[in-house]
Amino acid sequence: MKQLTISERLGLVRYRNQSKTKAKAHIEVETDICNTTCQHKCTTLVCPANCYTLDEMQQVHFQFEDCIECGTCMYACDQGAVKWNYPDPEIGRGIDWNFG
Amino acid sequence: MEEDKFDCIIVGGGIAGLSAALTLAKANKKFLLIERGEFSGAKNVSGGVLWGTDLNRLVPNYWEDENAGFERFIKHRKLTFADHESGFSLDFKSAHYETPPYAGLVVLRSKFDNWLAGKVEEAIAESDFAEDSLVATNILVEEIVKENGKVIGIRAGEDVFHADSVILAEGVNNLLTRQIGLQDDYVPADYLATGIKEVIRFDQKVLEDRFQLDGLSGMSNEFVGASITSGIEGGGFLYTNKESISIGLVLGIKDMREKLKKSGKSIYDVLNDFKAHPIIKDMIKGGEVVEYSAHVVSMGDKRVMPKELYADGVLIAGEAANLLMNSGKAIQGMDYAMHSGILAAETVIEAKEKGDFSASSMKNYRTKLENSYVMKDMNNLQGAVHLLHDKTLMNDVPNLVCDFAKDFFTIKNEPMQPTRKIFGKAVAKHSSWLDLIKIGIKGAKAL
Repeated sequence: MKQLTISERLGLVRYRNQSKTKAKAHIEVETDICNTTCQHKCTTLVCPANCYTLDEMQQVHFQFEDCIECGTCMYACDQGAVKWNYPDPEIGRGIDWNFG
Repeated sequence: MEEDKFDCIIVGGGIAGLSAALTLAKANKKFLLIERGEFSGAKNVSGGVLWGTDLNRLVPNYWEDENAGFERFIKHRKLTFADHESGFSLDFKSAHYETPPYAGLVVLRSKFDNWLAGKVEEAIAESDFAEDSLVATNILVEEIVKENGKVIGIRAGEDVFHADSVILAEGVNNLLTRQIGLQDDYVPADYLATGIKEVIRFDQKVLEDRFQLDGLSGMSNEFVGASITSGIEGGGFLYTNKESISIGLVLGIKDMREKLKKSGKSIYDVLNDFKAHPIIKDMIKGGEVVEYSAHVVSMGDKRVMPKELYADGVLIAGEAANLLMNSGKAIQGMDYAMHSGILAAETVIEAKEKGDFSASSMKNYRTKLENSYVMKDMNNLQGAVHLLHDKTLMNDVPNLVCDFAKDFFTIKNEPMQPTRKIFGKAVAKHSSWLDLIKIGIKGAKAL
C-alpha cells in the first residue's frame, strides 16, 4: 500500500470554517522559547499534523491552521511555550471527524 | 432566575456526557448538555472498542435497533508479539461471543456518539422536561462560574447558564478541570500517550474474507514489540469496522520526546513504518485511507488523575478524570466513560432529592466510583500498567517468542532439537532466565 505524505493525510481531514480567510488561533506558541532555551524542539516531531516545523536554520515555526486538536503539544512541551485552547466554534479552526 | 436554573449542566457530549444525560433524562431531571462540536462525536477519536455490557444498561436491547451506532461486535481477539519480520499471536475466536449483549463493540465515534445523542433526545422528549432539557451543540464552555467557592454554572461567550451541579465530561484535555484547580495547569507528558490512526476502507467482501468476518462479527488485534512502535513505549491496534478497519498506534509522549530526535522520525513516519511492517502490510493491501486522525489518551497510570473528582457543585467523569485502563488484556476507556457518566448522574439525582449539592454530597460520586469496577480495576491493575511499560516485556519478550517460533516451526530436514533447547537459545539471545522469572512473577501478581 502506497504510503501517504503528511499533506495527503491532512487533505482527508475536514476542517471547520475553511472558507474563512482569517480564523482565530486557538494555540499560541512562544517560538522565542523554542529557538533559544529549548534543547529538544520535540513538537516538530511529535505533532501529528506537522504544525511545528523547522527551517534550514533549525528555527521552529508554528501554524495552527492544520491542527487536529489532539493535544499532544501541550504535554510534550515542557518549556512553557505552548498555550493551548479549544478552537472557537464560530471563528476558530479545528476539525469535524467523519469517522473518529 | 430560578426557573431557568438547571438541575445539572453537562460539559461535553462524548460518551461520559451522553451517558450522564441519558441517566438524568430517564430520571426526569432538567439538564443542559453542551457540546462544542457540530454534533456529538464530531471531535472524538478512539481506537476503538467499547468493552463490556454497560451500553445495554443505558440503551436496553440496543442490538435490535437496525441503525445501532456500532460497527461490529468482537468475536475474534488477537494479541500479537512482533519482531522485525514475524508475528507470534495469541488468538481466540469463539461463537460464545455471538449472543447479545455483546462483550465488545467496535465503534467509530463520529457515528456512535451521534447515535447515542439521538437516544438522549428521545429520552428528553419522553421526560417531564421535554421543553426545558436541552442538548446544545457548537458552543464552547469557557469558564466555570463559582459563587462563594461553589460551582453555580458555566459561561459560554456572553451567556451564563446556572445549575445546581455541573458534570465535566470534557475529555482528556481537561482545561475546565484545571481551571477549577482539580488538575494542575501543566500536566507533564509522563503518563499520557498520543493515539494516531487511519481508517482504511475496503470492499466489504474483501474485508470479510480477509478478516474472517460473518454478518456483524468483528476482530480486534493488538500488537506489541519494538518493531511495531519504532522502539517507543506503546503498541499497535487493528479493529474491523463494517466497511473499513481502524489501524494505528498509541505512543508515549515522554518517550517520543526522548527518542524521536535520535531516529529523526516524526510520529507519522512511525505510523508509516508500522503500516509497512511485513506482518501488517499484507493485511491492509488494497485499502483506501479515508481518514487520518490523532488524539491524546491516558495510559492507565493513576498518577495522572486529577487530585479529586468532585468539589462543591461539580463532578468529573470519563477521560477528563483520566479514567482509562490498559492492562494488557484490553484498552478500556469508553466503558469507564460510560460507567462514570452514569454514576455522576446518579449522584446528581440523589443530591437533588436531598437538596444538597455541597462537596460532602458530591463525594458520593467518589464512593460509587471506588465501589465500581472502574476504580477497583484502576487501583488493582496498576502493576499490569507498569509491567506493560517494562522494557523486557515491550522489547525482549516479542523478540524472544518470535525467535523461538522461527526455530520451532521451521522444518529443516535435520535432526530436530529438543524444544527446551530451542527456547533456551532464544532466552539467551534476547533476555535471561532471571529476567523472565522476574517478569513472570510481576505478571502473576499484576493480573
